[in-house]
Amino acid sequence: MANEYDVIIIGAGTGGYVAAIRAAQLGLKTAVVEKQKALGGTCLLWGCIPTKALLEHAHALKIVQHAKDWGVTLPAGAVGIDMGQVQTRKDRIVGGLTKGVEFLFKKNKIDWIKGTARLTGSGGVDVFEGEKQTLRARKEIIVATGSTPRGVPGVEIDRRRIITSDEAIHLRDVPKTLVIMGSGAVGVEFASIFARFGSDVTIIELLPRLVPVEDEAVSAELEKSFRKQGITSHTGARVTAARVSGDVVEIEAQLADGTAKKLRADYLLVATGRAPVIEGLNADGVGLQIEKGYVRVDAQYKTNIPGISAIGDVITLGTAGHPQMAHVSSAEGILAAERIAGQDLRPLNYDHVPGCTYCDPEIGSVGLTEQEAKARGFDVRIGTFPFGVLGRAKMSGETDGFVKIVADKKYDELLGVHMIGARSTELVAEATVALRLESTVEDLIRTIHAHPTMAEAIGEAAHAAHGAAIHL
Amino acid sequence: MPTDVVMPQMGESIAEGTIVRWIKKVGEKVDRDEPLFEISTDKVDAEIPSPAAGVVSEIRVQEGETVPVNSVVAVIGSASAGGPTTATADKPASAGGSTTAPADKPASAGGSTTAPAGEASPKAVEPPKPSPQADGSPASPASTPVATAGPAPVQASQTPPVRVEEKPAPPAAAAPESAAATARQAGMSTEEALHQRSSPLVRKIAKEHNIDISQIHGTGIAGRVTKDDILAFIEGSASAAPRTLAASTGPASVAGAASARQAEPVAASKPAAGDRVEKMSPMRKRIAEHMVASRRTSAHVHSVFEVNFSRVAQIREAKKAEFERSGAKLTFLSFIVKAAVEALRAVPIVNASVDGDTVVYHKDVNVGIAVALDWGLIVPVIKNADERNLVGLSRSIADLANRARQKQLKPEDVQGGTFTITNPGVFGALFGMPIINQPQVAILGVGNIEKRPVVVDDAIAIRPMAYLSIGYDHRVIDGAVADEFMSHVKKTIENWDPNAL
Repeated sequence: MANEYDVIIIGAGTGGYVAAIRAAQLGLKTAVVEKQKALGGTCLLWGCIPTKALLEHAHALKIVQHAKDWGVTLPAGAVGIDMGQVQTRKDRIVGGLTKGVEFLFKKNKIDWIKGTARLTGSGGVDVFEGEKQTLRARKEIIVATGSTPRGVPGVEIDRRRIITSDEAIHLRDVPKTLVIMGSGAVGVEFASIFARFGSDVTIIELLPRLVPVEDEAVSAELEKSFRKQGITSHTGARVTAARVSGDVVEIEAQLADGTAKKLRADYLLVATGRAPVIEGLNADGVGLQIEKGYVRVDAQYKTNIPGISAIGDVITLGTAGHPQMAHVSSAEGILAAERIAGQDLRPLNYDHVPGCTYCDPEIGSVGLTEQEAKARGFDVRIGTFPFGVLGRAKMSGETDGFVKIVADKKYDELLGVHMIGARSTELVAEATVALRLESTVEDLIRTIHAHPTMAEAIGEAAHAAHGAAIHL
Repeated sequence: MPTDVVMPQMGESIAEGTIVRWIKKVGEKVDRDEPLFEISTDKVDAEIPSPAAGVVSEIRVQEGETVPVNSVVAVIGSASAGGPTTATADKPASAGGSTTAPADKPASAGGSTTAPAGEASPKAVEPPKPSPQADGSPASPASTPVATAGPAPVQASQTPPVRVEEKPAPPAAAAPESAAATARQAGMSTEEALHQRSSPLVRKIAKEHNIDISQIHGTGIAGRVTKDDILAFIEGSASAAPRTLAASTGPASVAGAASARQAEPVAASKPAAGDRVEKMSPMRKRIAEHMVASRRTSAHVHSVFEVNFSRVAQIREAKKAEFERSGAKLTFLSFIVKAAVEALRAVPIVNASVDGDTVVYHKDVNVGIAVALDWGLIVPVIKNADERNLVGLSRSIADLANRARQKQLKPEDVQGGTFTITNPGVFGALFGMPIINQPQVAILGVGNIEKRPVVVDDAIAIRPMAYLSIGYDHRVIDGAVADEFMSHVKKTIENWDPNAL
């Protein structure tokens, strides 16, 4: 029967489409249900890809703004950014990549069923769009419906002036003033983009520091760097009210010291987190176990209903803070697909998930922060090395930031690597492999780091953890 | 005069062998009996010594190639003819035991284990004797043309490559050998360590704790030993109660900090729809690891004795009430523990441990009693059991069992055992074949005590009988010694002195 498959995946985001490709590679007949007009989900359409595209534009502008330092001559006149061109280039990149996923589907003979999926029980999915289709999964259904920006009570998102990242990504003008609620990855990335484009940016963060999931030292460095760039950060502060009047948002906030502050902005970007998407899935109808809106799964990504799995942003493993990241979703998708194909599943180690934040300066981190390591009872030793000392950093004019290594004194175990500075999101790959392979700090010291590179800072930080860096 | 080096016959049924590695290269000087190459056969892996002193003048079979036995694989030329390459032999790539003992039979790379049991070489550790019962023992093959006793099957998948060294033919010149043990104990070479996949961190931890990584069951990709694996291993041996897995029970949560960090266990493979997938409890996990590790560590052999409990039953009936008044419960187990303790005193090797190539004879007699729990198994230890009389033992047993079931054991209650008694008979088993509780060397299994027809003075009589079994480590305890121990136990029980309460 045409509408019977081995595996049916709901959602074509990075979790879903990667799971589909892996399942198809392993010989399973696979379909993906996706209601959007393009494949790729949040990552490709509104998240990773478009924001990073904008950040590259910001970086290009930064170079041009410093043309004089670089000895690049420009015709007279102000340097500016053409948002029309920015959006065009970004859309071209996104379009290319979503077409790439379509190509991969064809190559792997994966069916894209357009429409909204509704679970009907083990193995059953109804798809709505136009005529109702009923699909059967012989082996398993994977729910990969992802997440969507989440608001906060008291701040009504009108998607015009009080917006989320979904709208911010499409702005065709540079706001004069922008207030951002939340300083997670989304908040600080848009802060970097629009501050560079010329907006007056203010961040309001509820917790006492920016990027609260990162190591404290990283937060402090980012705050320092943002201050230098003219981005205002209010940490330990909360938005108490926000109203749109005309083309202006009036915001009231309570600062850390208890004082009230009134702000006016062209836009208020609500970047306070992402909520799981289970609407329309008929989770209640089939009895899917839901915890705080998330689909509860075990370490094999199985839900409580036999034959239904879930992966990605929509799941909770019952532990705090399942990371909502594209690369986590795809790793989970691969594991789920392999399990369904009959392979043994080696559970992911969520302590080894690299985190990348593409603000300026970039943040890359993996493993335990100093605080977490101490809380887990390790006898912690730290090694830090500033990028600014490195030749490569000086050449590129990117001297902010550092690499910080968190290690266990007892066995010299590498526990975490945290970096902020140019190319940190690339450099974190080395640290991730090192953690995955259970390296000691000694191993990092003995690893030859090419010169001149930013990666030298990792070797130097390792040296520092053992006593002294060479070049400091 | 050039000497041909041939692929040795590593066992009766073995027709071919694969060269795994050339330890010496062409042009390198080699002493007679110095390890020359490594081979792998379908039974064992072995390091083959050079049949003659000289210089390797030709290597005819390359690494990875498989050839029939007795094929010439290399030629050793005389040292002087070796050409200009004065081949500094200062690169003893893997001169494992570097035996200098002379051997007369070149290609007779026989395991020292082929020695008849009686003819043990004068060493602390006696090499294991192949035994039909000993499965998975790191047996070495026989290959002297004459003695071709088939080795016990080696579970190649689990057992690390066995290094077989030439046993010097003249027994007088017994040199240090005992291959595997010494090579490993002396700290693994990097190459050996890498052979057992592990991480840098694991190697670091292993070094600090002086652990042989090859003993650890790896749960990582391709059997890689991970941090969690080695930490679990250390925890297990530290509590000296592998069987018991004690450390992970409620009260004895010394393991808490570490196990909290442990990754999820490898999941059961291919569960079908509707199957329930559950994580192993820490206790379960530890039991699993320790049982497998014990199987891999010790050369398990079992023997079973039938014991007549008539006398003990009579005494028990007579004294039960008296004991109860003094607050102790007189069970058969109390008698058995007492009998075992006396036998341990008489045969001290049964109350010992193996540490590399040394044997540690324990001063104290600390007897562990396996207690089955709804959620697993634990082995609390009666400390200084030899200093207690029947009342004291009875009290200790009752106290430990109670506290085990109420999760009120303290870490020290499950540590330091030197011998273990397990009682499968309570569940009706005729007898058990228990796995040794590492690092101990023996475990006593008590079968069901029940009335059976037995022949007494040529008449059939009804007697309370039980099968007692012993699992012992043939690395250090030979059959005769184990039987001596068991005879002692049997004699004590069958001839119990009613005044010796």
